[in-house]
Amino acid sequence: MEVEKGKTFKYLREKRDVSQEAKDNLKSFNQIKKTILDLLKESDLTVDQLTQKIGMPKNEVVFYLMSLVKFGFVQTGAIDDMDEYFSYKLKK
Amino acid sequence: MQEQIKEASYDVLVIGGGIAGGEAALNLANNGFKVLIIEKDLSIGGKMILLSKVFPTLDCSACITTPKVSEISRQPGITIFTGSEVKKIIKKTENSFEAEVLKNPRYVIVEECTACQLCEQACPVVVKDEYQFNLVGRKAAFIPFTIASPKVAAIDIGNCILCGACEKACPPKCIDFTQEKEEYTIKIKSVIIATGFKLFDPLMIPRYGFGLFKNIITSMQMERQLAPTRPFNTILRPGDGKVPCKVAYVLCTGSRDATIGNPVCSQICCMYSIKQAQLLMGALPMADVTIYYLNIRSFGKGFEEFYEQAKGMGVNFIKGKIGRISEKENGNLILRYEDINENKVKETEHDIVVLSVGVIANRDAATLFPDEQLKLDAFNFINQTDPLASPARTSIEGVFVAGTASGPMDIPDSILSAGSASAEAMSYLIQNK
Ligand SMILES: Cc1cc2nc3c(=O)[nH]c(=O)nc-3n(C[C@H](O)[C@H](O)[C@H](O)COP(=O)(O)OP(=O)(O)OC[C@H]3O[C@@H](n4cnc5c(N)ncnc54)[C@H](O)[C@@H]3O)c2cc1C
Ligand code: SF4
Repeated sequence: MEVEKGKTFKYLREKRDVSQEAKDNLKSFNQIKKTILDLLKESDLTVDQLTQKIGMPKNEVVFYLMSLVKFGFVQTGAIDDMDEYFSYKLKK
Repeated sequence: MQEQIKEASYDVLVIGGGIAGGEAALNLANNGFKVLIIEKDLSIGGKMILLSKVFPTLDCSACITTPKVSEISRQPGITIFTGSEVKKIIKKTENSFEAEVLKNPRYVIVEECTACQLCEQACPVVVKDEYQFNLVGRKAAFIPFTIASPKVAAIDIGNCILCGACEKACPPKCIDFTQEKEEYTIKIKSVIIATGFKLFDPLMIPRYGFGLFKNIITSMQMERQLAPTRPFNTILRPGDGKVPCKVAYVLCTGSRDATIGNPVCSQICCMYSIKQAQLLMGALPMADVTIYYLNIRSFGKGFEEFYEQAKGMGVNFIKGKIGRISEKENGNLILRYEDINENKVKETEHDIVVLSVGVIANRDAATLFPDEQLKLDAFNFINQTDPLASPARTSIEGVFVAGTASGPMDIPDSILSAGSASAEAMSYLIQNK
């Protein structure tokens, strides 16, 4: 079968199913990303503040927030007076 | 010379492209032998390529590993298959073998990828990044890590949703979802097993609370936090993003412990913990680092001085056996331990606990030879049948072992062991010409 270069994903889509887990994972990440970015639009926030607003375990907030920093959506802001917790802000 | 079978027959098959396998392959190729490296990961370099600095010199690990892996991948006598596995090896004649090799699809045309990372940016899927030991996410279309070799994208097909975003974003159009598994039959004259070691899984010691308490991490996770290509902007507790102040190391996690089936010393954890403690004091000048140990094994050249240097910098050493770790509401951890010198049970609070996990045998090679018996030692490492006169020799004639596949050792000893393996393989090849 002739497969057009640059569109080979269509070929594999016909041959294999995308797992439900992968689809669910994407859906959940997109929701969390939107929630975090919307909250950071309003003001800079710490992990603790984000946790209280989202109601998600702190370690999960750290994971998603750090991933958003890595992918260039969020940047690290100032550290508190005790030099313990950073706040995070949207990357302009 | 990446990812391309140039010949169906080689002088030597090296299984595992860590520092030991890479060094052995390089020695052989520099002496005119044709070598095929089979690496199961997406990059060669093994654990060393992911380290921060190395003890006792504190040289930057990436600065040593990068030129080495580049030399290995550019050497014309070496062919490398990444993302591949050896299924079985059959001894055909007195001095020849045939290996069945499976190359998994990367879904990227290696020769055409420029590592521009546009596929990574376009991919919407985020999963845990195994190269950062799950501290942060990565995409399903991803370059394993900055100094990976080959530095080429790969598609994690299990997590891919086949949306085609990466393919649309790729300027040289090198994403190729039509790639399939490829099987090869490789004729070889000799084999070097360099499959390295596995890290002890601390979930096997539930009283330490790893997995349950999020501010308990492994030494490999701390290694990543200390590396220049670290997951966070500085050292942070993964449980709540706090910059830790009081750091504890628990040595011998999964080593010298008959209750979890590994009564031997891992040989590296004392020194890598002392290294990390020194690096931590540089990264967090206000930090207070305590190392809980049974004995400090500082047996190598410069190791004792390195240990003294850590003490001089203010690292606190407590000869103590940890009974249990519990968590406070603020995420801090209480270590309950027996102070061996004072013969008292004590409790101390720390912000973060690093478990210095030990070295466990990788048993992958044990089943590769259906018609021969590859002997393992009492701890499931590959048995060296003549450790003094011929340290790389195994129970199968023509099959040699290099690096931590034969037991716990550090990088200089792994390189030395690779030297023995390549020298013994060369001598075997010359004798059996
Ligand atoms: C936290 C930590 C810090 C350390 N710090 C230091 C330090 O500062 N200084 C020092 O000297 N040492 C240090 N070490 C030890 C060092 O990592 C090892 O000595 C070194 O990595 C051993 O190299 P190796 O090639 O034998 O094994 P590995 O690094 O384990 O490489 C083995 C390779 O084989 C591949 N492989 C495994 N199974 C298969 C298979 N079935 N088929 C194909 N390929 C396979 C693996 O993917 C890997 O690429 C540290 C170790 C740890 C855990
Ligand atoms: S090297 Fe140190 S920490 Fe590791 S097992 Fe041996 S004594 Fe324990």
